[in-house]
Amino acid sequence: MEHLDPDRLVLFALSEEAEDAAESGHLARCATCRDELDTLRTVTGLGAETHDLRDLPPPPEQIWQRIEADIAEPVRQQKPSPVRRSRPRWLVPVLAAAAAAIVAVAGTVAVDRFAGRAPAETVTARATLAPLATVPAAAGGTVRVLSDGEMRIGVRNLPLTTGFHEVWLIDPDDLTKMVALGNLPDQGDSVLPVPPGIDMNQYRLVDISDEPHDGDATHSGRSLLRGILTE
Amino acid sequence: MDRDDQLAERLRSGDEKALRLAYDRHGAAVLYLAQRLLGNRADAEDVTQLTFVAAWAGRDSFDPQRGTILGWLLGIARRKAIDRMRSAARDDRLVETVRSQVAPAEEAERPERVVDRLVVADELGRLPEEQRRTLELAFFDDLTHPQIAAVTGLPLGTVKSHIRRGLANLRRRWEVDGGTFGSRSAGPLRAL
Repeated sequence: MEHLDPDRLVLFALSEEAEDAAESGHLARCATCRDELDTLRTVTGLGAETHDLRDLPPPPEQIWQRIEADIAEPVRQQKPSPVRRSRPRWLVPVLAAAAAAIVAVAGTVAVDRFAGRAPAETVTARATLAPLATVPAAAGGTVRVLSDGEMRIGVRNLPLTTGFHEVWLIDPDDLTKMVALGNLPDQGDSVLPVPPGIDMNQYRLVDISDEPHDGDATHSGRSLLRGILTE
Repeated sequence: MDRDDQLAERLRSGDEKALRLAYDRHGAAVLYLAQRLLGNRADAEDVTQLTFVAAWAGRDSFDPQRGTILGWLLGIARRKAIDRMRSAARDDRLVETVRSQVAPAEEAERPERVVDRLVVADELGRLPEEQRRTLELAFFDDLTHPQIAAVTGLPLGTVKSHIRRGLANLRRRWEVDGGTFGSRSAGPLRAL
């Protein structure tokens, strides 16, 4: 059986011409020509869909900077500074035991501490913070955990509060298990130390809450942003 | 393909500038794929970052015999995006109070189709000028062969052969790099 002319198949695939009776008959009988036409139709369909892809904007420079920082030779980390080691002694065993609703109010560390730092930090985990249903959609943030045990948190458009915003690490498998990391400014970046001994695979839900100044150190129940730490 | 080979060679030798070059050439396609799959700019940027970092870490496993750098990168990006979607879905189940972070704005598209389109677009851009031009007139402007001949001033027979060869080139590339056939090039990269 002689197959259809490849040029005819192209015309059919482009819907430029229709098959005549003999050609339809052949297509009905011949799987080779049918497959060929199907493939050509797929390729022309894909070709037509590429219209919007011709002018993709160049990839953002800031993503490249993040890539560059990640692939930089890891700088030999110095031992944790004495300041972090002198964390209150009672905290370590309690945190390690992962007891329910432990609270530690750590102060927010000023951003400028971060500014003069060497660029080659290794990010061990990150999360994108998304607003909960009750929170304006423009709110959000990002979290990066650095290999030296610090957490860098950037938030934007948090709703105003008469109290303060607090950062928590929560066990997503048991929402009553949580650890408070510290307070946040309304905008911008802050750096909080992650208490040593915390299992980041367990406490991997980052939660930003709205806390009233009521002297009650437990979670207010009003979560604003949440995100899961990955890799 | 030569340019890809050279780039691969430089990547394998640990030249960071080659990664930058790959980012300049293909970062937009990777970001586009991630954005289409995740529907969320912040996650798409994260996945783009993870993709190039993983490509760097796994640069020894890139095999130019099995596909292009773009196909390789899109394969990594697709897996990273799917991981991200799965972990978001898992979190949604576990944490009922958390609204889905990954709520695609539009109807999600099959990842393979997006990859296919990016690969075909890339190949279209690599075709010889006249081939590309005739195909664009057929695809985007819906012109018939005689109309294309009229617009371009090329003889009808030339238009016909440009279109046939151009389509054959797109098809070959799609079969090598496309998402539908992608499992072939996924082998040693599974771990990335």
